[in-house]
Amino acid sequence: MRPILECQRLTKKYGSFFALSELTLSLDRGQIVGLLGPNGSGKTTLIKLANGLLNPTDGHIMINGLAPGTESKKIVSYLPDRSFFSEHMKVKEIISYYTDFYDNFSTDRASKMLDTLEIDINSRFSALSKGTKEKVQLVLVMSRDADLYILDEPIGGVDPAARDYILQTILTNYNENATVLISTHLISDIENVLDRVIFLQNGQLALNETVDDIRLKYGKSVDALFREVFKC
Amino acid sequence: MLGKLIKYDLKSAAKIFFLLHVIYLLICLVARFFYMDRLRFEEPVEPLVFSLILFVTLMTLLISALSIFTWMQVAFRFYRNLFSKEGYLSWTLPVSAPQHLWSKIISGYILMAADLLILSAGVLLLVTGDNVTSAYSMIADELENELGFSLGSFVCLLFITCLINCLCTVIMLYFSILVGQLFPSHRVLGAIAAYFITSFVVQILTMLLMLVFGFFPGYRGYSSAYGLDYTIRLLYMSLILMLIVTAIQYIAAHYIIKRKINLI
Repeated sequence: MRPILECQRLTKKYGSFFALSELTLSLDRGQIVGLLGPNGSGKTTLIKLANGLLNPTDGHIMINGLAPGTESKKIVSYLPDRSFFSEHMKVKEIISYYTDFYDNFSTDRASKMLDTLEIDINSRFSALSKGTKEKVQLVLVMSRDADLYILDEPIGGVDPAARDYILQTILTNYNENATVLISTHLISDIENVLDRVIFLQNGQLALNETVDDIRLKYGKSVDALFREVFKC
Repeated sequence: MLGKLIKYDLKSAAKIFFLLHVIYLLICLVARFFYMDRLRFEEPVEPLVFSLILFVTLMTLLISALSIFTWMQVAFRFYRNLFSKEGYLSWTLPVSAPQHLWSKIISGYILMAADLLILSAGVLLLVTGDNVTSAYSMIADELENELGFSLGSFVCLLFITCLINCLCTVIMLYFSILVGQLFPSHRVLGAIAAYFITSFVVQILTMLLMLVFGFFPGYRGYSSAYGLDYTIRLLYMSLILMLIVTAIQYIAAHYIIKRKINLI
């Protein structure tokens, strides 16, 4: 089966700074992958390139064999590391927006999750707390039947209790043929749900292993290995 | 998808746009019944002229403010929707970059044209009272002879030119904002500079073309027939120049939005 995400000598430069340098990487379907690395390692740049928000300086990035574009955006569900809805919209208007633009969006699934979280769909997005905004965004992103979910810091701004709910939401809402790519600094919180981890350092691949292999090979948790590799 | 993009774009701008334009129409309605309809053109000229100058100044300020508001609304919608945090949603929709550009051009044009129509309707409401039309009818023939064409045809010609100009304004705005995106650390400054530099170049080009095509009559005697010809020729030349500049700006905007956008 064709990899869901493939990078070949992918390079992105900002002025003279290399955010990504000749990154070659391939991700198969049906796994939850942690994209880990210190600040400035190139995680968000890679994510933006996969979503077509940036143009590569050199090399290629392919989503299911396609360059990022209209077709790839149909199968990628992306959660950015910031609030990205128009503040004046009501939650129910955002749901209509997703229904209008994404054929694979399930209104029922979104409504059920928002009900469970006791989020009023008549609330304006601007009236919600930071944590609730993040929950609404995650609910909408996970309510799509996508082939690749890209989540940039999905649990960064919420309390530990909500983190459990979010991780549960991620686990229960993706099908076995889909891949979830999660970028986060809160490794210990997500370690148990990951199948594979990718370490990025200075825009280059430092490690690409399954979590089981890491435990066998290094005799450490992912969190402990991360602290060792990226020790200041 | 294009229709959906336009729908959401207009929806987000509609509330404040309609609110302000309804207020404008109400002001015009009140001014018509409480000021314009009470004007007596047979009364002493001096106080009449003074109050009219004051009224026209205030209305000009109001109309200019509304036009600038619509202009800024179109610019901010484009910038905010594509290049602020909202861009993270817009650019990940299954929509191509040229579709984004076209949706913004169409919705921007609808707003600008609606603004022009409502502002014109307000002015029409102000000047269509019996006292104004009968006062004008007394000088209409004289004015027509002097100008070489009727005021009605001039207003129609001006209105059509303004409608076309709305499209040019929208594309020039988007072109400037997109040029600004090429300067990652000074995007807004880059956009403002692009706007003023483009405006300056268009002004210089207009002056040059007016010189080349003999649009400065100097001390030549003025006749009504010459006036009509001059005005129409000037309008045509401005229109053609505007359309050429707009076409160039559209091609550049299309290229930048398709190939050069980086949402940092």
